[in-house]
Amino acid sequence: MFVYTREAHPAEDVQHHDSFARKLSGAALLRDETGISRDILVDDLAGTVHRAYGMMPNMTWVIGRGGRVAYKANWTSAANVEAFLIRFLAARTNHSPATTAVMYETQQVEFRYPDRKRFSERLRRNGPRAAAEFEKAQQLWADRPSS
Amino acid sequence: MGRAEDGDGAVAYNYPHFDDYVADGGDLADETAFWASPQAGRRAPDFTLHGLADSSQVRLSDLWRSQPLVMEFGSFT
Repeated sequence: MFVYTREAHPAEDVQHHDSFARKLSGAALLRDETGISRDILVDDLAGTVHRAYGMMPNMTWVIGRGGRVAYKANWTSAANVEAFLIRFLAARTNHSPATTAVMYETQQVEFRYPDRKRFSERLRRNGPRAAAEFEKAQQLWADRPSS
Repeated sequence: MGRAEDGDGAVAYNYPHFDDYVADGGDLADETAFWASPQAGRRAPDFTLHGLADSSQVRLSDLWRSQPLVMEFGSFT
């Protein structure tokens, strides 16, 4: 399922949320214009669930049956999630008394193949301000000291 | 589980300008918040959310009770 959080690039037409009603209309826009067919759950106006799970704009979590965190990724990579789910579900099916599950921490680079045209279209859909503000943010990122 | 009251927290959370959010280091703070969130193996935080399809109240623990749950977070952009 999909948890609708806050608008990352609010502008004149798709505005930041100043009421729960506006947040609901943003979630409906997501459903109607991006074709997401999964169930969409809407967080509250203060972002209570988003805060509890770590605030990133597009992250994915997998929660195991019973409620323990099985997987968390700060950005969503469909390929990465799918690879994990295949192993995770296989381990559940082929469970033996010797099978154990332990916290296994890894950090890796992940590869993105951004569709700039689509992203620009989406920014324009939000309103002219969205593209201008994203451009300014890119300059801010470029000016940040690298570590 | 719980739900926060709408108030100043909501105003700060729902920033109106992306460049101001970046200039204030909001993106860096959010990355830090992610790594401070519950680790693998820990119990996932349980909340009740608003279902868009039918305005129902959906409790996360009801969704992960009998099968694993994949949760993607995001917005329109």
